[in-house]
Formats: sequence, structure tokens, C-alpha cells
Amino acid sequence: MAQWRVGVDSGGTFTDVCLFNENDGRIEVWKVSSTPDDPSRGIAQGVEEGMLLVTPDAGASPAAAVSYFGHGTTVATNALIQHRGVKTGLVTTDGFRDLLEIGRQKRPDLYDMQADKPPTLVARDLRHEVPERVRHDGTIDTALDEDAVRRAGRALKDAGVMAIAVSFLYGFIRPEHERRAMEILHEEHPDAFICAGHDVAPEFREYERLSTVVLNAYLGPVMRSYINRLTPRLEALGMTATPHLTQSNGGVIGFSAAADMPVRTVLSGPSTGVVGAQAIGALAGFPDLITFDMGGTSTDVALLKGGVCKMTSEAVVHGYPIKAPMLDIHTVGAGGGSIAFVDVGGLLKVGPRSCGADPGPVCYDRGSTEPATTDANVVLQTLNPDYLLGGRMAVRKDLAKASIARLADQLGLGVMETAQGIISVVTANMARAIRVISIQRGHDPRDYTLMAFGGAGPLHAARLARELDMKRVLVPRNPGILCAMGLLLTDLRADFAATRLMPLAASSAADVSAAFSGLTERAEAWFVHEGISTENRHLTRTADMRYSGQNYELAVPVPEGQVTPAVLDALAVDFAEAHRQRYGFVAEGEAVQLVTLRLEATGRVRKAELRAYPMEAPDASAAITGARKVWFPEAGDFMDTPIYSRDLLKPGNVFTGPAIVEQMDTTTVVLPSMEARVDVYLNLILEVVA
Amino acid sequence: MNDMLAPAAPLLDPITVEVIGASLSSIVEETGEALIRASYSTNIKERRDCSTALFNAAGYTLCQAEHIPIHLGSFIGIVPHIMKLHPVGDMRPGDVFVGNDAYAGGGTHLPDIVLAEPIFVDGKIAAWTVNLAHHSDFADRGHAHIYQEGLRIPPVRLYREGALQKDIQDLILLNCQVPRERLSDLRAQMAANRVGVRRFQALCAKYGTATVLAAGERLLDYAERKMRAGIAAMPDGTWRFDDLFDSPEIAENLPLSVEVTIKGDSMSLHFEAPDQLRAGLNMTYTALLATAYYVVKSVVDPTILPNSGLARPLTVTARAGSVLNCVHPAAVNGRVQTCQRVSDLILGALAQAVPERVTACSNSCCSVATFIGTRKDDGSIWVYLETMGGGAGARAHKDGLDGVHVHVTNTSNLPVEALEIEYPLTLMRYELVADSGGAGTYRGGMGMRRMYRADADCRVRVDVSRLAGRSSSWGLFGGAAGGHGAIECGPGVVFDHDSAVLKAGQWFALVSPGAGGYGPASARDAETVARDLACGAISPAFAKETYHETCPPA
Repeated sequence: MAQWRVGVDSGGTFTDVCLFNENDGRIEVWKVSSTPDDPSRGIAQGVEEGMLLVTPDAGASPAAAVSYFGHGTTVATNALIQHRGVKTGLVTTDGFRDLLEIGRQKRPDLYDMQADKPPTLVARDLRHEVPERVRHDGTIDTALDEDAVRRAGRALKDAGVMAIAVSFLYGFIRPEHERRAMEILHEEHPDAFICAGHDVAPEFREYERLSTVVLNAYLGPVMRSYINRLTPRLEALGMTATPHLTQSNGGVIGFSAAADMPVRTVLSGPSTGVVGAQAIGALAGFPDLITFDMGGTSTDVALLKGGVCKMTSEAVVHGYPIKAPMLDIHTVGAGGGSIAFVDVGGLLKVGPRSCGADPGPVCYDRGSTEPATTDANVVLQTLNPDYLLGGRMAVRKDLAKASIARLADQLGLGVMETAQGIISVVTANMARAIRVISIQRGHDPRDYTLMAFGGAGPLHAARLARELDMKRVLVPRNPGILCAMGLLLTDLRADFAATRLMPLAASSAADVSAAFSGLTERAEAWFVHEGISTENRHLTRTADMRYSGQNYELAVPVPEGQVTPAVLDALAVDFAEAHRQRYGFVAEGEAVQLVTLRLEATGRVRKAELRAYPMEAPDASAAITGARKVWFPEAGDFMDTPIYSRDLLKPGNVFTGPAIVEQMDTTTVVLPSMEARVDVYLNLILEVVA
Repeated sequence: MNDMLAPAAPLLDPITVEVIGASLSSIVEETGEALIRASYSTNIKERRDCSTALFNAAGYTLCQAEHIPIHLGSFIGIVPHIMKLHPVGDMRPGDVFVGNDAYAGGGTHLPDIVLAEPIFVDGKIAAWTVNLAHHSDFADRGHAHIYQEGLRIPPVRLYREGALQKDIQDLILLNCQVPRERLSDLRAQMAANRVGVRRFQALCAKYGTATVLAAGERLLDYAERKMRAGIAAMPDGTWRFDDLFDSPEIAENLPLSVEVTIKGDSMSLHFEAPDQLRAGLNMTYTALLATAYYVVKSVVDPTILPNSGLARPLTVTARAGSVLNCVHPAAVNGRVQTCQRVSDLILGALAQAVPERVTACSNSCCSVATFIGTRKDDGSIWVYLETMGGGAGARAHKDGLDGVHVHVTNTSNLPVEALEIEYPLTLMRYELVADSGGAGTYRGGMGMRRMYRADADCRVRVDVSRLAGRSSSWGLFGGAAGGHGAIECGPGVVFDHDSAVLKAGQWFALVSPGAGGYGPASARDAETVARDLACGAISPAFAKETYHETCPPA
């Protein structure tokens, strides 16, 4: 009987599986190495092993008991960070092929003349212009030159592109030209992934739309081949539930939709972590959080105030503008697998190049010789120098040390100083990322709790908190699998939107009603597809509005039911109030426009519940499983440090640093001068001792 | 300044100073965002031709948002002018001053209208929130002297204790060609100030006013220290550089020169220029200061905080009554063209001192097209102004950037889809210009071509420079000059100097200059030349002539 809800987070280094029994509330976690050459192998292996753990008698169909499968992935993010998308072509309106490079014509840094723009994802000779022109009112100024499209298609095929972006001026108003061009291109290059602006980002501002479409094309074949490999593997395990993927907004969509719109999943993995952090923070009583999700390849930080992470409809991700709903998450290309090196100027740098899971850091002994952050931690013995993953993986400290010694020679420093230097550089990089989402947006990080998760988060969190003068670190019970768990702590959500430029006037009531009906139909179809029963369906509606003449909108909630002229009158009042609150004035008598109508559909599902355990005595000594020497820069030497087993720590336990807490999916460092306590949900809370 | 604070100034740890400094930055960024989002005119809401800043009670810049460097010129002028004209003791919460004049208001040209509001905390002025919006108006005017260029506004109260002075506003609006946009942009400027006041007061409530003000002083000192340290690390000496300034607005070329002297941890810049012109190309002294501060900060250390502390080690001089330090009644509307040339002039001098840190000459102007016409439906006037990027100079180890705004400007383009819905214009092409990047070991940035078709009768005026036969964007250390700026006319279009009448259906294109190369072309990597050739950044003929590269067989 299908009863297990399964969340899988596939990172650059590890694949985490979280399993939740809908009937009895049991939660289990499982973790396997990622398989970056084909991440679906690692996922299938993780699901198979995880399900066999909970249903040992399942035989050849271990995944038959899966009732829901949710998945967050960094496939798109990593391809973007490492510029490993496919060779992509562009077909655009005559006269505008350089727009992709010009952007908004602003320079990358106001004062730094040495700064560069991120690389343009389509080379200039793969950007083809075709005569065609639609006007802003939807009339056609110049008909599409179909032969030119055909020639472009052939040329792009000959050049070996695997994806083609189509973006014409005003394609979002009248998509015929884009549709026809897609047909022709498909005829000429049937194997290519082809997408167009009117589908991917049907909103005005041609550059941001173009950038979004190009990214979608660049990532399309990467995501498609990933899903095409994963789906049959899951089916082979006997899974019948529809697999889902998290989008950048924290909501989930089916696999096939994700394959068409990879650009909406660039923050898939990280948004899952934010959702998980939100749930755990609320339970533990810390609604003001800065999340610090450090994995092997990248690190994501986000700020939650009052338990809420801000949503944006457009953001610049790794230098590229994307028009899609996203949680406000900042990502840096550095993690436990980031490689340390000495640059041409003689300075120690870490990342953005990563060793990934294969070959992994030097200490894995799989052929890598360049030291990664993990190797530094092994040498410092903050990480267990003999084995990782709760004993499942042996490590070679001697190899790690030799690789760092080579760097130390280049720098003229000692081996331990160099290893510690790698950690200091990583900490400074992470602090800069947190400043972006806190200080730069007017929030003082000292008012927030640092929630550390991801495989490497708890290892670095204490030093990071100290760098930013933050007083408290929260390490959830299963930090390595928080993202996977987040998939089981959240309702299903999908956003539907329609851009309809209309005056806010009684005459628009019927059109607004009709537009919302269309959105509601799509939402209902989604509910049915997801198997959400009627009583668990929830819809909220908003309208983005502005004064006619403005180019930015304010979102105003729209009540349920028929949209009548009276409802529009009420919207006008609410808009005026929202405008007054935001800008301090109301433009009496000015016309108001409706721009985009939005519908957020939430399907309530049974969520994993975290259990509260009874408090026990403060004495944590029963959880000590040993001791080892750990190098602390505070001492400039190795210090005898007790090792606690996370599994043995009880609610109410208190101990002081220096200490190391080991568990299967992560290692937590407690610095000297810090105190650690365990709360009723088994969260580990580190605080600086005054 | 603020010496009454000194005894009470609390001990500040570096993290508190940093957090308050970052909070000031976030306040000015947030006020800028409010201004952009609430505005109606394309020049503000999309092109972001506006700036915001906070000043201390003595009128020194605490923080300027990273928008448009030249706007600092108006900022450093206005608060002292307000205090000169209006007793501080008479100011009340909710008073808001409006001003734009180049001679009585601290402005640099009349379209830049500044709204400045004192922020009261505990009954005293703690700081000022100031913002500037370039109102795209005062179009199709003369530039023989400033009286032709628009309405001159000395700093006067637009709001008195929160109450709009409608007679003042009516006077201003009657002198504007597009009053509806002016009204909405002024409202947006008010919205921005409200954010600034609220956020600054909240900051004071959180940390204590004395702490915030003391941190502000520390930040000025910090900027000064970084500037001095940066200058001290540069070689001592005096370096001179000469260039020519040209514009379609004037027939003659103007010789300009600078002498930069570095001595220990300070730097002086002395400029020479001809007498001020009967043309809108003159620079006020504050415009010259803003330009010099921008370039020196960029070269010495781009991370220095943009506050007035960075100016302390710098001395900037130019003869009063010259083009670079004009006096009443010189016209100043197009001063940004001259500012851009001055920026490159300073780089040319500093190239001799710190060749690794500078760039070759950029496109060295701010190409502008200003359209004006009358709407058929209601007879109202429409004005549309836009600026275009061009090449950025090649660097010691890298090519220059193609098609970007350089130096004292940094405005966005207007999306075609926003342009065509608002104005009877069609944008036919927007592209990089092949062969316009100056050849070199590192290639100069490419200029751009923007081709417009008029869909209704209108007039257009342009600014562009580095015209063929007049001057060129120079290369450095053997690098070649960038491509020339140009006006390309379709059938029937004739420019009289900088202006033309366009009939519906006629087109013209504005071409911004390319930038200079760095190092000899002969040393350019052959693979890179081949890539430039393949992607059309250079033509086969140019490749052959300049790099002796032959075209691969087709």
C-alpha cells in the first residue's frame, strides 16, 4: 500500500533521501554519494536503498509504496554556475542580436574599471537576426521572413547547437511569429531544444525576457536529459506516483513541466532548504533566521523575518537576469568541495572550481590531487581523519595533507596555517554572501539566528557566526538532509498568472472575471492532477496594479467570487492605500491600470511532523564517544577535543566547546567559548558564552 | 564640523561602524528604488537617471547611492546653498526644498531638479535626505546662456511643514513642457524623501542618534584614510595630458589639458581650458569636482566609500570663467559631454603614473538623442530623451567593454517595448558597430548604433563626439584609436549642426564612438583576432589591415 512520502535532494556531492510514513508519522533518512555524470543513478540508488530500509519485504518493487515523490535539484544551478549548459543559438528580430550582450547598457561596476560582465551564453556568430516586426498594439509591421528563419535553423544545426532560443520584440503580445519560427526551426533541427519568449516569460521588457529565454534554452537539454534518465529509473523501482520537482518559488511542479521550464528551477534545491528551515525555525521558536546551506559545490543563504522569506518576480542569478517567481536566495559558488589554489598574484583563493563528488576531495583517494575545503578540515581534524558518513567511507588524511603541503610551499607557510587559511578564506566568502542579504538590505545579522545545514554548514557555522558577531547558531537534527525534509514539510503550491493590461474601471469587470476563471480552471486541473481533494484546495488571488504611466506595480489581494464593478471599486481603494503606505502619496484622479492577475493554488497535504521529546538532565557526557586532537587557531595548536555522537545527545543536554559533534550526515564544530544545548526537537543550539 | 558631538561621541567598535555604514547605503538605495518605482517618466522609471544621497547636518555627503556619479555635483552644491538662503533656525520638520540652478542653487544643469529635506531627530536637524531626478523637459531651447535653458529655481520651499506650496509648484509646472510627468516625478521624489526620513529616524532609534552621527564621522575619516593610503602607494610626480573636445554643437575644437600632481598622500588636479562658450557645454565647478572625484576614486581604489571624506586629500583647480569652471550666465545643459572628456583627460595623465590601473580613452562622451513633438490627440507636447553607451577603454590585461555607459553617467537604455508604446518612434536597430573598437594587444570597446524611425513629425537634437576629422578616442602604449561617433541620415533627413526635423517615416541613426586599444596590435593573440573575426567584431578588411590576419577560407 502506498503510504510513504519521499523527498529527495540531489546536490553536487550527496543525494539525500527523506522518507515519511503518512500513517504513523515515522521519519527515516538515507544518504548516498551523488553521481554527477548522471545524477539519476544516485537518486535511484538512494530511493531503492531508503525504501528497502523502511519496507524490507518489498522485493523487486521497493518504490511501490511511494505515495508522493518530491525532488529538489541543483542540476540547473550547477550548469549555470559552471557554464556547463549546451551550445545554444538565438533567433531574434532583425537589428537586435546584440541586445543579449548590451543588456541595459550599464557597466558591471560603477567604479571598478577592471570589472567584467558575465560571459554571454550565446556567441555572437550563433545569434541570427530575421526580418519580422510586430508592433506594440499587436499589428504586424513586417511579416516573418520564413526563409530567413529556415536559413538560420540550418546554420545553427551545422554549427552544432543543441538548443535554440527564439525571442522577438512583442512576442508576448502576439506570439504568432515566435510560434511559426519554432515550427520551422523544429523542421530544420528536430533534435534541438527550442523555446520562445511568449512561453517562458510572457512579460514586457525585451532584454530581461531574452535573457530568461536564452537561459532556458541553455539549460533545457541538460534538464531534459536528466529527467529522461531519472523517470524510467524510478519506474523500474515500481514507483507509480507522479514525480515532482521544486521550483525556485518553493512550489512544486510535475517532471514534464520542469523539463520545459528549467529556468524556473534554478533555485530548486536552495528553495527547498528555505522551506525546510522555515518549518523547523517556526517550531523551535526562532522565526528570524539567516539560513546557511553549505553543500559540496555551492552555498545558499536567505533571510527569513518573522518566518517569511521574500519572494521576487525577477532576479539576477549568477549575473543573468531571470524573470520567474523566486525566493530571495543568494548563492555563491563555493562549498566543501571548492578547490584551494594560489593565484597569479600569490594569494590563496578557494573556489569557484569544485572537485564535485567525483573524484571528490583528495582524501577520498579517487585521483584528485588539488586540495578542497574538505581536505583542510580533515587535516585540521575538525572532520574525522579516518572515515566519513558514519563510517561508511574511509578517508586518507595523508593524501590530503600532502596536497595542502604543496600549497603551503607555494605560499611559504606551514601546513596547518595553510589548512586554517583555507577555512578563513571560505569563512570570509560566506560572510560576504550573508552581508548581501542582511546588511545591504537593512537587516542587522546580529538580530538573527544562523540556521546551518547542508553537509558542510554546521562545520563552518560557528566561525561564520563569530565573523558576523551573530550570537546563536541552530543546527537542526538532520542538517544534511534538511532540503529533502523540506519537501515533506510543505504543501503543494503552484502559481498561475496572466498579464492583461486593462484600465481599473467598471467596464473591465467581465474581462477580469474571465481572466481569473481561466486561471482557476488551470489551477483546478492542477489540483486534479495532483489528486488534491476538494476540501484541501485553497486559492488566493492578487492583482498587480499601478497608476497609468508607472512601470512598476503593487500587488493587491482580490477577494473570492465574481469580480463585479463594486469589487473593482474596492480594489481601487485598496490600491490607493497600498500606494500611500509604500510611497506616501495618492495620485487623486489619476487612472489606475490592472497589469497582471495572479492565482496562487495551495494543495494541503499531510506533512511530516517533528516530535517533541521530554527534557532530560544537562549532563551530556553519556554522548561522548571519544576524543581527538583538533587544530584550533585560537590555540595555534591541536587541542584535546571530546567527540559527541549526535544520535546519543538528549533534549536538555548542555556542553561547552571545544567540541565536535558527529552524525551520519554532518559534523558540527563547537568553538572554545561557545556553549551547546539540545532542545526538545533535538535541534542543537550553539551560543556564545558571554 | 559637528564638534558639539565630539565629547558625547560613544566608543564605536568597527562592526557597528560597518553596520551603520551599510545601513546608510541601504537607505540611499531604498530611497532610490522608491523614486524609480513611483515615477511616471521613462527617464526615471526605466532609465534610472536619478540619484539619492544622505548628508550630515553640516552639508557633507554621508553616502551617495551607486547611480550616476555626475549627480554628486548637484548634491555637493545644494545643501550649502539652502543654508545660505534660509536660516537653519527657521526650518521645521516637513520642510522640503526644491532647486536646480547652476549659479544660485548648486546645480550642474537645469533639468536635474533636487529635492532636499532636513531630517529632524529629537527636535534637531540630524541629517538631510536629498534626491535628484533628471526631468526630461526644457527641450528645444537655446544654449547661448542659462536664461535660454529652462526655469532657474533657487532653493525654495516646495513643502512647508508638510504642506505643499501649490503656488510654487504651479509656477514650476507652467514653465515645463510636459507638466503631467513633472508633477508625477516631483511626487515620486517626495516619496523617496519620505523613505529617507523614516529609515534614518529608525536607524537613530535603534543605535542612538549620537552613535549614528559618530559612525557617520568615522566613515568620512575612513574614506579619507583609504584615499590617502591609495595615493601614497602611487609614485610621486607631475603628469600632464592634452586632448581636444569636439561637438556638433560648436564648430571649433577646444584644447583641454590637465596637470596631475601626486605628492605623498595627496593629489592635485589643475585644468586648463578656453574661455566659457556661448553653448551648453560649460561645466560648473561642482561638476568638475564630481568628475575628478569619480575618476580618482576609480583609479586609486574603487572600494572607497562614496562620501565626502574621499575628497579631503584632493585639490581641484581651473580658471574661473573657463569652460571647465564657468560663471554666470554660461549655459550648461550639455555639461556631461565635457565631463566625459575630462574623465579621460585625467586617465591619460594617470596612465603615466599607474599604467596598470587605467584604461585607454573611452568613447569619451555621452551620446544623447532628445526628441520633441506634439501629440495629435490632445495637442500636448511630448519630450523623449535617451542616452547611449559606447566603447569602454581597453585595459592593461583585458579588452574594453563593448557598448556600456562610462565614467560620470550610467543610465539604462529604455526597453524598445517601453519606448514604442509611449512615443511615436520605432527603434529599427540597436547594435554594436564592427571595427569600432580601437586595435591593440587589448581591443577597445565597441561603439553602438541606434537607428530610429519617426512615426509622426517631430524634432530631434543629438549630442555625440569624436567626430571624423575632429578628434579620436586615443589608445595607450601603442594601441590604436577607437571608431568615430557619427550621425547617419536616411533619405530627406538633414542635420543643422546638432538638430533636425523628422517627417513621419524618416529615419536616422546615432553612432556612439568606440574606445581606444591598449598596447600594440601586433602583440594581440592570433586566436583572439580570429574569434573577433568569426563573431564580426572586426571585418576581414580590418583584420588584414590592422592585425595582418587573413580571412579563413569560407
